[in-house]
Amino acid sequence: MNEPLLHIDKLNVAFSTSRGQVHPVRDVSMSVYPGQTLAVVGESGCGKSVTAMSVLRLIPQPPGKYLSGRIYFQGRDLLKLPEADMRKVRGKEIAMIFQEPMTSLNPVYTIGDQIAEAVILHQNLRGKAAYDVAEEALREVGIADPGRRLREYPHQLSGGMRQRVMIAMALSCKPKLLIADEPTTALDVTIQAQILELLRKLQRETGMAIMLITHDLGVVAENADTVAVMYAGRVVEHSTVHDLFDKPQHPYTEGLFRSVPKLGANVTRLETIAGTVPNPQNFPNGCKFHPRCPRMAGDPLCVSDDPALREVQLRHWAACHHIEGFAQAPITEPQLAYKRAETISEIPAEVLQ
Amino acid sequence: MTKLSASEPIGNPGKPGPGETDSTRDPLTVVRRSLVRQVARDVLVRWGAQIGIVWVGLLVVLAVLAPVLANSHPLLMKSKDGELSSPWVKHLSTADCTLLVTAVAFVIIVLTRWRASTKVWLLLAVIVVTAITSSIFVKQRFTSPDTYRDRLKSGEIEWAARAPIPYSPDDRQLDDPTARLRSPAGRHWMGTTATGADLASNMIHACRIALSIGFISTGIAVVIGVVIGGMMGYYAGVVDLLGMRLVEIFSAIPTLLLLLCFVAVFTPNLYMMMAIIGLTSWEGYAVFTRAEFLSLRQRDFVQSAIASGVPLRSVLFRHMLPNGITPVLISASFGVASAILAESTLSFLGIGLGVDEASWGKLLADARSSGGTFYWWLAVFPGVAIFLTVFAYNLIGEALRDALDPKVLKN
Amino acid sequence: MLTYLIRRILLLIPTLLGITILVFGVMAAAPGGIGGPLLNERGGQVGGANQQRIREYYEKRYGLNKPYAIQYLRWLNNISPVGFRVNEDGSLGRIAVKWPDLGESITQRRPVSDLLKDALPVTLILNLVSIPLVYVIGIVSGIIAARNRGNAADVGIGTSQLALWSIPTIWSGVLLIGFLANREYVNWFPTGGLTSVGSLDASFLPSHVDGRWQAGFLVDRVWHLILPVVCLSYGGFAFLSKLMRGSILDNLGADYVRTARAKGLNENVILYRHVFRNSLLSLITVAAAILPSLLGGSIVVETIFGLPGMGKLSVDAVSLRDRELVLGLTFVGGLIGLTSMVLRDVLYAMADPRVTYD
Repeated sequence: MNEPLLHIDKLNVAFSTSRGQVHPVRDVSMSVYPGQTLAVVGESGCGKSVTAMSVLRLIPQPPGKYLSGRIYFQGRDLLKLPEADMRKVRGKEIAMIFQEPMTSLNPVYTIGDQIAEAVILHQNLRGKAAYDVAEEALREVGIADPGRRLREYPHQLSGGMRQRVMIAMALSCKPKLLIADEPTTALDVTIQAQILELLRKLQRETGMAIMLITHDLGVVAENADTVAVMYAGRVVEHSTVHDLFDKPQHPYTEGLFRSVPKLGANVTRLETIAGTVPNPQNFPNGCKFHPRCPRMAGDPLCVSDDPALREVQLRHWAACHHIEGFAQAPITEPQLAYKRAETISEIPAEVLQ
Repeated sequence: MTKLSASEPIGNPGKPGPGETDSTRDPLTVVRRSLVRQVARDVLVRWGAQIGIVWVGLLVVLAVLAPVLANSHPLLMKSKDGELSSPWVKHLSTADCTLLVTAVAFVIIVLTRWRASTKVWLLLAVIVVTAITSSIFVKQRFTSPDTYRDRLKSGEIEWAARAPIPYSPDDRQLDDPTARLRSPAGRHWMGTTATGADLASNMIHACRIALSIGFISTGIAVVIGVVIGGMMGYYAGVVDLLGMRLVEIFSAIPTLLLLLCFVAVFTPNLYMMMAIIGLTSWEGYAVFTRAEFLSLRQRDFVQSAIASGVPLRSVLFRHMLPNGITPVLISASFGVASAILAESTLSFLGIGLGVDEASWGKLLADARSSGGTFYWWLAVFPGVAIFLTVFAYNLIGEALRDALDPKVLKN
Repeated sequence: MLTYLIRRILLLIPTLLGITILVFGVMAAAPGGIGGPLLNERGGQVGGANQQRIREYYEKRYGLNKPYAIQYLRWLNNISPVGFRVNEDGSLGRIAVKWPDLGESITQRRPVSDLLKDALPVTLILNLVSIPLVYVIGIVSGIIAARNRGNAADVGIGTSQLALWSIPTIWSGVLLIGFLANREYVNWFPTGGLTSVGSLDASFLPSHVDGRWQAGFLVDRVWHLILPVVCLSYGGFAFLSKLMRGSILDNLGADYVRTARAKGLNENVILYRHVFRNSLLSLITVAAAILPSLLGGSIVVETIFGLPGMGKLSVDAVSLRDRELVLGLTFVGGLIGLTSMVLRDVLYAMADPRVTYD
């Protein structure tokens, strides 16, 4: 695994609104390798969903606009692809599932129609054959009695079932990359666990890569191989999941960890990060985090200068003036091929090669 | 100021508005007022609303100043024996007096720096007082308008300051047998009607009917609709079932047919007409309110208000109504347009207002004679007036919808 | 579904009763009573003692001397398919299954059902031509507007549709007839009516007779219908088009459209397969309101163009307070309106799988 499957390189996305242009994604770079799970973490409005949608070019234009940057998928720049070729990538090479399973399915068509639609489009199958593939896909995501479910409408299913249907639809064409945008946020906790387990199982079986968008550190700890932490449109820290949890470098990441309750710790009040997430319409100058930063202590540098993402330790990138040796650290491409040790044996050999 | 999102209840008692520290002030009114201001600002920036409001404002000015702008009675005249008099003032009607006094009072009150509620109450008081006093003291006189022209011609009147359009709407110019159905020319710059009256004068005086019919009948319809719809939505069950039948009765028959029945039977004056149009057009508001109340009833803030023993009246009108009124407000502004349309259609069909009331629809009806002659000025001017007024209200309604629609708010 | 339908149809009965009670009550509350001005007028022509006799004749004939409740119940009995037979002298006979009797028009001295039989086809032909036009043009232009959303053309189309919707039928009718069917201006269309003199004897299709072309019945009828149909349909089409555009745009922003895009479908498939069907749902909702408003519109259009349909009959009946005729007209009008409501609910249930009527 030396070539990234997906490499986002200095992506900049802007939206024009009635109150002027906003710039929710700034110089974002990250990579996903085959078989790997990259988690993108951040609060709502940090640009993680826009980044994910940009990969499939699902940002409506206008009002959205790709200002600069490249998104390489298997060596091709997706942002330069003609729309017709892009449509062949969507659903077939890269599939996506969304946060709202309740509304992400068309209410007036059956489950079978909607899954078969993707199969017919990408696999050159017709009629019965396509529905057979759809049934098989439903069975794979653990839906009982898939033959009957095919003929049902979305409103007849529960939220967890619908998310399974979404996954079945996404995986029916065997994509190489699955982008999961907060796939469990709208679900009950027990259903969340089931869905995540299902994703892990399917990843083991197919060797696909997953780009997992989430704000839940628990989800990250359990599923991710590498993590990109985003704040106010920028990647502020990027490393393996172990490095991130062991020695977080950025004050924002530290704050995130402090605000998670820990078992056994005898605390009466959880710590929070002071202040609120800046609105994309008026990001602060300099380091976007400085108004909330405990390390800043009146440093004028933080106010004037937005730190770049530097490799502060080996294979650990962060963007904060107050990390030791930050100014000397090299600015390198954040490419991180890493698979958790405990699962590496389960990855098919041809993926690892 | 933060923008209220659609999901945020307006009257949530547990959650005062942002930046609200003064605990003695009612959070409800604060949030509501800021919402009203927000909506007003959102509506006013739209050019559609601006055009609509300018046109309606023009109509208001014309309606108030109608007796000054178009009147057969000289505003001021000096007779041969040196006597100064103002026949115009003597011939003002009760409605003229009330409107003029109210308009003057409105301008004065708006210029003051009193609190908004004081202004509203004061204005209402002025309206009521002038309406009562003028209905007691103003006597309807009648002088044939022809006499002024005769006396001017004969030199009996030395000079007279006439209104810009020196014809009252009911001045049939009996002294001029050729006055009927003249195309626009000379002093009659919009031509004359089938009875020989000046069209421009009739057009100006008809503004009053168009404005008052629109507002008052829509007001009546909204009140009926909100009360019935609110009860249906709040009580659900049998009340809802019965209410729905009532709504069906009124929405199954074409409104115009129902209006025809009512109007033909009750030989209406202006006030009756308002009541009838209001009575026949409430069902839309009831349906909207019902739907809103049905869903609001399930919401936590209503449940908590009920659970904490808030009286029913307060639950309905303080907690539910402000949150459920949006669709009603939007459709009310379209409702004003259709009320105006209804009045002019009825007048056009010849079963509307009596002969003394100037109405655009009635003027339009005379545009085609039974012999097939087409008097274009009687079609064009009143028609344009009806169209522009209806269009203006629809534009305002659309701007209001864009400003208030939760879907738009979310983005 | 069947249970729902039965329940829905049963619920029509109280509504229909309500409609007739409402109209009956209004007519009864008229100063001078039902048919008041007419009876006086007709008696007035004869004068004196005869007037009194004629009045008595009518009162007996139509039961006008009885209390209103009795009068209404008699009327109800007459229109009910199951009820008491009414004898010649007005007394009640035995209960039987009978043909509904809508009574006799006081002013026209003909059975109301005959009058309706003459008038209904005229109104139906107007509406049957207008409704498809309204829907087809409305939907197509709505889609076009939605596809060009946001640009100047869209704003222009939107505003002009609002303007079109705001043009009162009474004005457009008078203008069209005044300028396009007038010897002083352009005489392209007939001033009114449904047929030209002689066209009833002509062949149905255009034909070549005696060396001259004959327009034939069909062309003549279409020629007469153009202006009325234009007047009747432009408002509805503008309204539907705006609605369709808004509905499509709402749906284009929906999550399921994002899913469809992520699947790799192209925009046309998304629009016509996914969005279109969901957008039609909101059109079905207003379909029931369109029919009564078209019927209401026919009142105006028929009066302006002198078409002998239900609308014109209503204006005449109402202005003369012809009770039987008004009741008959509102009954039929209400029945059409209610049927369209039931039809809407059924259509909705068929189009939207989320709706179940159990």
